[in-house]
Amino acid sequence: MPVEALFSISEPGQSQVKQDCKGRAVGIDLGTTNSLVAVVQAGQPLCLRDGGSALLPSVVHYASDGSVVVGQRARELALAAPQDTIASVKRFMGRGPGDAEATRELTSYRFAPSDPGDPIVRFAVAGGARAVTPMEVSADILRVLKARAEAELGGELDGVVITVPAYFDDGQRQATRDAGRLAGLEVMRLLNEPTAAALAYGLDKQAEGTFAVFDLGGGTFDISILKLEGGVFEVKSTGGDSALGGDDFDRAVAGHILRAMGLPSDAGGDAGVARAVLDAARVAKEALTTETTTAFSVGLPNGKSRTGQLSRAELDALVRPVLDRCGPPVRRAIRDAGLAADQLSGVILVGGATRMPIVRSFVAELFGKQPLADIDPDEVVALGAAVQADLLASGGRSDVVLMDVVPLSLGLEMMGGVAEKLIHRNTTVPCGAVQTFTTYADNQTGFDLHVVQGERELVADCRSLARFKLGGIPPAPAGMARLKVTFTVDADGILSVSAREEYTGKEASIRVKPSYGLTDDEVERMIRDSFDHADDDMGARLLTVERVEAERILGATRVALLASADLLVEGEREAIEAGIVGLESAKAGTNHLAIRGAIQSLDEVSKEFARRRMNAALEQNVRGQSLDTVEKKVTSQ
Amino acid sequence: MLCVHCKAVQPSDPRADYFRVFGIPTAFAVDATELEQRYKELTKVLHPDRFARADPLARRASLERSVQLNEAWQVLKDPVRRAEYLLSLSGIDVGEMSGVGRPGQSGEHATLPVPQVLLMEVLELREALAEAHASKDLTEAEALIAKVRDRLGIVMADVAKGFLASPPELSTIAARLVTVRYYRRFLDEARTLWEEDTPVPKGRGGDAG
Repeated sequence: MPVEALFSISEPGQSQVKQDCKGRAVGIDLGTTNSLVAVVQAGQPLCLRDGGSALLPSVVHYASDGSVVVGQRARELALAAPQDTIASVKRFMGRGPGDAEATRELTSYRFAPSDPGDPIVRFAVAGGARAVTPMEVSADILRVLKARAEAELGGELDGVVITVPAYFDDGQRQATRDAGRLAGLEVMRLLNEPTAAALAYGLDKQAEGTFAVFDLGGGTFDISILKLEGGVFEVKSTGGDSALGGDDFDRAVAGHILRAMGLPSDAGGDAGVARAVLDAARVAKEALTTETTTAFSVGLPNGKSRTGQLSRAELDALVRPVLDRCGPPVRRAIRDAGLAADQLSGVILVGGATRMPIVRSFVAELFGKQPLADIDPDEVVALGAAVQADLLASGGRSDVVLMDVVPLSLGLEMMGGVAEKLIHRNTTVPCGAVQTFTTYADNQTGFDLHVVQGERELVADCRSLARFKLGGIPPAPAGMARLKVTFTVDADGILSVSAREEYTGKEASIRVKPSYGLTDDEVERMIRDSFDHADDDMGARLLTVERVEAERILGATRVALLASADLLVEGEREAIEAGIVGLESAKAGTNHLAIRGAIQSLDEVSKEFARRRMNAALEQNVRGQSLDTVEKKVTSQ
Repeated sequence: MLCVHCKAVQPSDPRADYFRVFGIPTAFAVDATELEQRYKELTKVLHPDRFARADPLARRASLERSVQLNEAWQVLKDPVRRAEYLLSLSGIDVGEMSGVGRPGQSGEHATLPVPQVLLMEVLELREALAEAHASKDLTEAEALIAKVRDRLGIVMADVAKGFLASPPELSTIAARLVTVRYYRRFLDEARTLWEEDTPVPKGRGGDAG
């Protein structure tokens, strides 16, 4: 693709008519509150505007007559038809009917009844006649941006980069990708929002050094630490809370207004009142960015309205508890980057909520320095996405490269429900990991592989991504088979898992396509928990691991004594049986070190016997090769 | 790494050791600044984003090389992992602490013995840490961290010296690395507790290891 094509596009703002022009790659910020589209023209990223405004409110109205309205007009319709108008759909992406978002109070939505086990939440809209998924609602927003870009650039789009919160899990990412596909877009990449912001800053301001990006949007909070140097954008660490944002400030203020009006905190379940109060809260919050006190007015659906006063001090007191939740993820990200707060060159503000004075002073206090907001915090993410789209579509700049990380650890389920991490969070992508596992039981002919995502030690606390099987392994004593599992995460953050049994060469692989909403556990809760319970977890994990191991060894040894009594030499049976008794008693206790010790003792006394047994088994299964040659084969891999 | 004629990324050689990936001598002593610079230069050339619109073969090659490069970087930039890796090239496996899915069931990896005196030392450190945590004594926790970091520095200096000897004192180095592993785990835990008790965000500062 000719690089020049991209720069031959007409002057900014002027419509492009040449149909053969390539290089129409755009960046889209699909935000909780507003969405934007941007493109690189003449080497500079700029947001595309419609009637002077770059911001498209992320609100979709589904009328009973089947028409769909998106943007400012939909926001205006929300008051009259709150249930048919979806705002903040991003909070529902990749979420199931049982998830927290779908069940929280003070909501104006009506959910369509779902079948048990349905992984996707659906909104009942158009007077209840239609059920739409969050992906469909997002696709309706994307279609408007696509039309805006095509009108401006004069032809079909080449491809898009859509931004997502760094902290989105695989299900949420997949849902975003699906929304793009539904809108007829070629999604070249999902880009993390803080990374996009840094890209825009780095290129525009020629910033160099290590920066924190503090991104507080309508519905999500992200923190990333990046090193910018010589055109290389290296994400050092990332963290956040995918259910914390300006919306939560609105809710806190709305609760206050409802109390002042003498109404219950869920607005008595009246969707119209809920919408009206949330709107009044948002308007008051925004006004208090510049004013120190403001009057609010709640326009009720019955045509009446209620008024009141709110001061900035009151607002600050209401939002502070929500804001405080940003502290721990920030601390963790700085630690994961291997830095101290005073080693940062600066803090970049992203997201509409960072306009609030209390947010700015909170950030200044947290980092010990005044934050930067040179680029419009509403536009910076879209601008960065346009830069990345340009890089991917044209390969145009060889002097810039972006190195992103895995936001959440990836691993496999082990016996006993323990998660073994193969790739740790904040590892630079693309990346890979290889680990070898063995069979647990004698004559086990297959492996069940369960791929999980999360920071906790136990599988039950992580998110399930995929399951697959590797079968057809010839029967052999436990511990004989060698299963080599390879994880690869590509530059897109998509995980592939392959498994190969080393003796037989049997293979199985899967490209992990998670089904969304499998668990209602929020990722950030998982991480938070993993820190809160680090001690319990580790102790419980070690004990579980050793007990499982003990169980395996005991079972295998007993079977071996029965099956291969002919291979025992004099005195060996007595020694082994004593070892079994010792391990049984250690296993009954809670000291994992004692179990480990007893396992080693039993191992020691049965080692020679096990070796003779393996050789015998191998003679049957691997056509007479001796154990030595087979082992060589394994270790040379 | 790049074909001189067509500028395509060549498929990776799975046997290439991490030092060869960087094109530097296989040695413990590494210039950290130079290594990082080399890493970034190579990334600029090999990164899959550069090949987003290339043919599948080139994309595959770029992915493989980038994965290998990132792996090599993770290992070489960290003196402890670098030392462990050098030992593994000589057939000595210092072993992992993980304890699950042990590949070593049939005795491919000899687990190095852990000296009783080291266990006692770490046990005492942990007790002191638990006390500092219980009484929210940040100064004491910081002092413990500083103490272990100093000891870690001394042990790593020993490791560096071991590699310089001719022939390298591999078994001594292996024993030192067992100690390092215990110190590092202690530091990890200490920092977690310390951060829990610290009201404002503070990082962990430079690592001795």
